[in-house]
Amino acid sequence: MNAPNIEYGILGPILIVLAAALIGVLIEAFVSRRYRYILQTGTAFAAVALAFLQLVLIRQTSSKAAVSSMSIDGVTIVLQGSVLIFGFLGLLLIAERGFQSFTAQAAAIPGSNEEQKALVSGLQQTEVFPLTLFAISGAMLFPAANDLLTLFVSLEVLSLPLYLMAGLSQRRRLLSQEAALKYFLLGAFSSAFFLFGSAFIYGQAGSTTFDGIRKSIVESGGSDQFLLVGLALLTVGLLFKVSAAPFHAWTPDVYQGSPTPVTAFMAAVTKVAAFGAAIRIYYFAVGGLVWSWRPILIAISIVTMAIGTVIAIAQKDIKRVLAYSAIAHSGFLLTGIIALSKDGLNATLIYLFTYGFTTIGTFAIVTLVRDSGGEVSDLNRWAGLGKRSPLVAGTFTLFLLGLAGIPLTSGFVGKFAIFTAAYKSGNISVVVAGVLASAIAAFFYIRIIVMMYFSDPVEDGTSVVIPSAMTVATIAICAVATLVMGIYPQPVISAINSLAFFAG
Amino acid sequence: MNPYLPIIAIGAVGFGFAAFSVVAAAISGPRRYNRSKIDAYECGIEPTPQAAGGGRFPVKYFLTAMLFIIFDIEIVFLYPWAVSFDQLGLFGIVEMFIFIATVFIAYGYVWRRGGLEWD
Amino acid sequence: MNPMNYIYLSCILFSLGAAGVLLRRNAIVVFMCIELMLNAANLAFVTFSRMNGTLDGQIVAFFTMVVAACEVVVGLAIIVTIYRSRRSASVDDARLLRL
Repeated sequence: MNAPNIEYGILGPILIVLAAALIGVLIEAFVSRRYRYILQTGTAFAAVALAFLQLVLIRQTSSKAAVSSMSIDGVTIVLQGSVLIFGFLGLLLIAERGFQSFTAQAAAIPGSNEEQKALVSGLQQTEVFPLTLFAISGAMLFPAANDLLTLFVSLEVLSLPLYLMAGLSQRRRLLSQEAALKYFLLGAFSSAFFLFGSAFIYGQAGSTTFDGIRKSIVESGGSDQFLLVGLALLTVGLLFKVSAAPFHAWTPDVYQGSPTPVTAFMAAVTKVAAFGAAIRIYYFAVGGLVWSWRPILIAISIVTMAIGTVIAIAQKDIKRVLAYSAIAHSGFLLTGIIALSKDGLNATLIYLFTYGFTTIGTFAIVTLVRDSGGEVSDLNRWAGLGKRSPLVAGTFTLFLLGLAGIPLTSGFVGKFAIFTAAYKSGNISVVVAGVLASAIAAFFYIRIIVMMYFSDPVEDGTSVVIPSAMTVATIAICAVATLVMGIYPQPVISAINSLAFFAG
Repeated sequence: MNPYLPIIAIGAVGFGFAAFSVVAAAISGPRRYNRSKIDAYECGIEPTPQAAGGGRFPVKYFLTAMLFIIFDIEIVFLYPWAVSFDQLGLFGIVEMFIFIATVFIAYGYVWRRGGLEWD
Repeated sequence: MNPMNYIYLSCILFSLGAAGVLLRRNAIVVFMCIELMLNAANLAFVTFSRMNGTLDGQIVAFFTMVVAACEVVVGLAIIVTIYRSRRSASVDDARLLRL
């Protein structure tokens, strides 16, 4: 037996982020409170930047790594790059200290003396940085995984920190803890399905690697019941992560209860990671079973779009509206997987890349609208924002138009690409449903815009706070990305087109 | 279609029985609703019992249990390594040192943050 | 003994766990049911490993045990925090987040 070989170079981006997370844990343990914030933010930003640099250096790689348990190829590079960029923007929002989003002590009972003491003495929440880095590393590992075991472990490395981060909100502690509980119980439930499904796929294929599964499908003709049962259960676990109907019930609650910077991070990064993993599974591992899974995914995609858009209309809380919008976007993204073509692959990657910027920008704006108690998420109190703070309202309008997919925003580019790919592959039904759902969705985005500009402001202490440079930078980057990729998307599209190939 | 016939038949029988039971119960039985009837049946036990001693319970037991589980389970990785470490050679030793180092980082965190103090 | 019997057993355990998650109201019991589901998956992995004659399934079982332990820790932390702040671990009481 020969010792296995680990390719440290091409796994570098993931390892750098993991190492930084461990350093973050050490900082929490051994550095005095005063210096923790500066050290933690420094480590986190430096690590993400370094990892991105390393990723750029290895961008031409296309091979299996770590005894073919991972696949570092063009698709992985694009997805890992997206995760790192969105992780960086999310970290900027989490590091904002002009106003507090995070509780100083997550273990303190809400309303207790300990909590008051922690608040008065100006304690800072810094444990969130290592948690975020662990989540980022999990999100980078998830789309790179090339066997069922790595896939499961990286799913947990991504999810476990997020469960905890959901419970860290400073205001409305009970709501936040409840969000953490729901996210955790449902998340663990779905990963049990995921694992059980993996067991059955392994049972049929005799191997946990995607290459082995692919080969066994070719040999057996893909008619074995173990494989189908396993794929069905695995799909349940994945659809939960991407919050597709009927497994979407956690999304609005968790988005609403979590601290808004965490929601922004989670919305963008989890979506990229989960769809990245789904692409590799459906395109590469079980592509031979397309006639079995395509009809089901078509049905799920249509139901997801319908639920996301129709229920969003009735919501009164801005974060819940955005959560349902995220569900609808999952439906749109599923059409890219249904297409099962090179076009579909490109379109999904482009969609994920553009969607991440827009959604982080939207939630960044949500953190700014506050009253004396904290964020104002009641939609009615956003009325007249356009008259009070035209700049913030204008940027928010841009993001909403981006989410709606109006031309000249990046959302249109993504939607156009993904629906074209689905149309070319002959799946007309999802395209029709998608276009209809987009039209309905545009209605409630535009309703919010109308409300901001054409209603009179209510004098109830709602105002827009002036954030520090970090949030300003995030919003600026997201707005520029949304606009530039809408007007001149060609460089991004051709870069992704040329990179997006699987390693054979 | 033939092989699916038994499945459809079983499905129809199952559905018919369920529908019959629900309808029959609704027609024939007396209706007296109360809160506990709507609840899910859990073998007659109290679903969420109060902790003994007025609902107070010491968190430190949970903390100790959690730490025990985490550090105990890491042994699982040492065992297969120990069985084949002479074949893995230097690579195995280096990787295991990295693994132990990460476990020790967690240990250091727990120790410094007072997770090991009983009072 | 026919190894398929272990697959049947793991399916039964998995179903029991899933039913428990959906029916029980104590968060800790719900969580124990999830652990039961994970262990059912473990049993299936080990059995398939035996049937296929490859070791992959047993390795997965090791990792699942570790991941399950991590989940226990995170889950207990969240549940204990909830219990401390509202004196109840009933999942039915967790209903502040509604429309």
